[in-house]
Amino acid sequence: MYFPASHLWIIPALPLVAAAIGALVPRSGRALASGAAIASMVAAFFVSCLALHTALADPAAHAAHNFAWFDVGSGAMRLGWLLDPLTAFMCVMVTFVSSLIFIFSLGYMKEDANFKQFFCFLSLFAAAMLGLLVANSLLLLFICWELVGLASYLLIGFWFHKPSAAAAAKKAFITTRIGDLGFLIGLLWLYDSTGSLLFFDGGHGVLEAATLTALTGKTLVCCGLTVSTAIGLLIFCGAVGKSGQFPLHVWLPDAMEGPTPVSALIHAATMVAAGVFLIARVYPLMSADQVLANVPLHALTVVAFIGAITALLGACIAVAQNDIKRILAFSTVSQLGYMMLALGVGSWTAAIFHLLTHAFFKALLFLGAGSVIHAAHHEQDIRRLGGLGAKMKITFATFAIGMMALSGVPFLFSGFWSKEGILHAAHEWDVSHLPLYAGLAAVVLTAFYMTRLMAETFFGKSRSHESGHAHENSAVMTVPLVLLAACAILLSLLAWPSPWLQHQLDPSAHSEPGGISLMVLSIVLVAVGIGSGWAIYGRKPRATEASPDPLETAAPDIIAALAARLGFDELYAATVGRLNSGFASLADFMERWIWGGAVTLLARFGEFTGVVNRETDENTLNGGFDSVSHQIRGTGRAYSRAQTGDAHGYMRFIALGFVVLMLFVMLGGSR
Amino acid sequence: MNTPYGELLVALRPELCLVVGALVALAVDLPKSSRSPTQRLQISSTIGAIAIIAALVCGLDAGLPGQLFSGVFNLDMLAQASRAGVLGLALLTLGITAGTSRLRHPAEFVAIILFATAGFTLMAVAQQLLLAFLALELASLSLYVLAGFDKTRPESAEAALKYFLFGGVSAAFMLFGFSLIYGITGSIELPEIAHRLAMTDTSPLLMVALVMVLVAFGFKAAAAPFHLWAPDVYEGAPAPASALIASASKLAGFTLFLRLLWPGLGAVSGNLTGTAGWLPVVALIAVASMLLSNLAALAQSNVRRLLAYSAIAHAGALLLGVIAAGTSGPSPVFYYAATYGLATVGAFGVIAVIERTGPCHSLSDLAGLRTRSPLLTGCLFVFILSLAGIPPLAGFVGKFVVFSAALKLGGLAGWMALLAIFLSAIALYYYLLILKQALVVPAAAPTSAPLRVPPVAAFALLITAGLIVLLGLWPSLLLGLF
Repeated sequence: MYFPASHLWIIPALPLVAAAIGALVPRSGRALASGAAIASMVAAFFVSCLALHTALADPAAHAAHNFAWFDVGSGAMRLGWLLDPLTAFMCVMVTFVSSLIFIFSLGYMKEDANFKQFFCFLSLFAAAMLGLLVANSLLLLFICWELVGLASYLLIGFWFHKPSAAAAAKKAFITTRIGDLGFLIGLLWLYDSTGSLLFFDGGHGVLEAATLTALTGKTLVCCGLTVSTAIGLLIFCGAVGKSGQFPLHVWLPDAMEGPTPVSALIHAATMVAAGVFLIARVYPLMSADQVLANVPLHALTVVAFIGAITALLGACIAVAQNDIKRILAFSTVSQLGYMMLALGVGSWTAAIFHLLTHAFFKALLFLGAGSVIHAAHHEQDIRRLGGLGAKMKITFATFAIGMMALSGVPFLFSGFWSKEGILHAAHEWDVSHLPLYAGLAAVVLTAFYMTRLMAETFFGKSRSHESGHAHENSAVMTVPLVLLAACAILLSLLAWPSPWLQHQLDPSAHSEPGGISLMVLSIVLVAVGIGSGWAIYGRKPRATEASPDPLETAAPDIIAALAARLGFDELYAATVGRLNSGFASLADFMERWIWGGAVTLLARFGEFTGVVNRETDENTLNGGFDSVSHQIRGTGRAYSRAQTGDAHGYMRFIALGFVVLMLFVMLGGSR
Repeated sequence: MNTPYGELLVALRPELCLVVGALVALAVDLPKSSRSPTQRLQISSTIGAIAIIAALVCGLDAGLPGQLFSGVFNLDMLAQASRAGVLGLALLTLGITAGTSRLRHPAEFVAIILFATAGFTLMAVAQQLLLAFLALELASLSLYVLAGFDKTRPESAEAALKYFLFGGVSAAFMLFGFSLIYGITGSIELPEIAHRLAMTDTSPLLMVALVMVLVAFGFKAAAAPFHLWAPDVYEGAPAPASALIASASKLAGFTLFLRLLWPGLGAVSGNLTGTAGWLPVVALIAVASMLLSNLAALAQSNVRRLLAYSAIAHAGALLLGVIAAGTSGPSPVFYYAATYGLATVGAFGVIAVIERTGPCHSLSDLAGLRTRSPLLTGCLFVFILSLAGIPPLAGFVGKFVVFSAALKLGGLAGWMALLAIFLSAIALYYYLLILKQALVVPAAAPTSAPLRVPPVAAFALLITAGLIVLLGLWPSLLLGLF
């Protein structure tokens, strides 16, 4: 069945309608709000599948449907929808994962008083993300991008009565906004230099060859960068903020303050994926400068190194965390680093493949963590959990699958294939091998901290009252886990035996089989990570919650520093934060005393003239009539007298106006 | 001469629908019956609504035949759009009337609204001085009656009398001006007048004629210094009558004068730098309206008078659009007038609903509206912010297109646009005073009971608010017509 690009708006519109329903029903309309959200998401999933089917019929075509939004000046601001395999695959993934997360939320949030609001926000979140995916205009993408930011703010701060949640929401919003500023400047610059923001527009879009050649042809005077490099780097700023890349990764772990389904949504399907998707979408622009050899910097080189730093940093910090969700959060930071690394070294298809597989197994891990937390009465500290494997068999089994997919256990799990693709691409990169080494180191660390998480949570004895009384959750929570676990395995088929997905995404890319030696090396590294993790934490499980961590005893300084997340938050508070408060007090002073004074003065003047004007208008002109007519009414005379007085007063004024205008015209004419 | 009466009949189908509707409404109500006033109102407003909808359908069905009946009518895009706009605004007014009015003779009220609407639609299509004058008088006489319809309140009678006297004198000015134009050019048909004027020099007599016409225009548009009736009438008339006077009447009036001034008298427009013509006069009236009304409104404490001064201010901005219409076409003025009409109909509708249970004179009568009726508050929020010109509402786009058209003209018109922008900032203050009362200030004890909004009125208000948002987000719906 053929699905035209002009109908793509249906996909984001469905959850948007659900969000509207959720916003309008009263608080008691829980069933209606959640039902609408889930139904719209499932419907959007089927529509997305239809769109994918259409897109795969001709993978190289970028079917776009553009329309004028409003006219401005001599031109028109145009928006559009775009249907290609990238959009379609992402839509299918987002709708599928979101549907399962929505269903999971039914169980997880069932005791919350603001249940229906939660589903309203979730739908808005999904709608914004889907709008971002189908956009064929950087402007439309930016609008949805900001809506994603807004929805994440609402959801992270959903339990806003907790001060930490309110602060985390604010932090996420402001941190990503810093990146968005760069994005916005890049967007304006791009519009300024090309006059269009459409991606594909029959040869005139910003991602099409003619425009790109024009952009790379221009260089900046100050530093020798081409304009496309500069714009690409500015747009990358937005992705750095949204996808939690170093140095703006600080908001992502704090975002754990939101309800766990929200964390799953942010980390798997909606928020952080947006940054990677953005770079993949504008990949022709980012890579336009690759053809030039004599430029000081290629945009993608920056992307690769930022990605490598993030991958390694996230994995290191995750080793020293004790909160189950925080470990997963830093693991997301690290995995996003991988994706950026892949983008940077030139294989955007590998990045998108990893994005898709990661979405499934990270959603699985977060929902699994949610299941644990729900069962253990909101206990999140892995030192106080333990021994849950026997009590929660389904959660344990599915979580284990997620863990193995994330660690990259070979052959059976999708994570292995997507990670292999990235390492392979990094190996091929001829600029530097440092990103490859960072990626390989992160492989060991990932396997290590995930083994630690498994061992502490599910093995040994229960170390607290809460975990002692945990039991398996209802089917509404476990069925999504099982489905996601199945996907975490089945998605291997997209890459093996042949790299089908990558070929569909970019038919022009040549795909050669990965080097066997690299694959063996990464398998060995995974084995080392899991083995050492098991040796340290699994063989001799922690006895009580207070017993020391073996690593902490071995290297207390390093672990303490990592546990404090290398002090990034403190650093930002001491520099950017303090600078900002300084500016704020200065602005406050100016506002209060200088501008405020001037405005008050003006306002007083305006008020004064207004009073004068009213007095003349009402007392002199109307007042005369009013007093006359009052008098007349009082004495009870015929109304005809009032009529006469009225006529005189007003008619005189008409005549006066006529005379003044006549004089004006006559004098004007003689000039 | 073979007069094409068949063509006339087809072209005037909307007016026929309106007149027949009015007569039917009267006839149905005529026999003595035991029906309550509410039932009579329901019946007659249903008939009225059917008549207006039929007129709308007929009007849209007619297409764009252009010149008709040897040039007496001109059914171009502006005419058809204004006709549809006027009918739509009248329909909304009728919705508010049906939901709120408690008059003793509802059928007559509805019938007169329909007669007034017929006058408006004729104003929109007229291209001949005689027809223009007749249409204007049909509309004006109906409006005088509507303003004085509430015989239980002396203010209403006072308003009607003032409106009538002022209107009568300005009609005399207009007729005098028209007859002078006829004397100079020997024709009452606008294309012919334009043709003759292009060949003759300007004479003082012509200037007198132009200024006389503009005096009448100033009255119709409630522009300073011919605005004195507006605050009294807006205050005294029943709320639906005020709504009609402020919205549909204004849209029709601006359409008529746009057609009269540019295609008709365009040859003697003069220019803003001092050549004699009607442009400098319109500019003077526009500046006076904007300055006077915005300052006077600052000190107002009566909601209706405040809306009246706001109407005068908007008339000034619209006149600026009339000045720019020579180069930018009629679309900015039309868009502005139509969306302004929507916002005022809505604002008066909210007042009408509040007045069902208590007074709504001073600003403090709105206090605590937020808790009394969230629906009304939400609608009022949209209307007032649209009047103030806050994006993304239609009022903003209207201001934007009119001011940018004036800025494109440059010179004095550009400075006038800057003045208008500056005064918009001042205007925001008094608009926000209304919202402050509705949203922030708690209700005084005796009036804090929840308000019940009649379903018809709620429907009309929601449609109005929805249109304002829609046209603001998608201005091309109207702007793209021309």
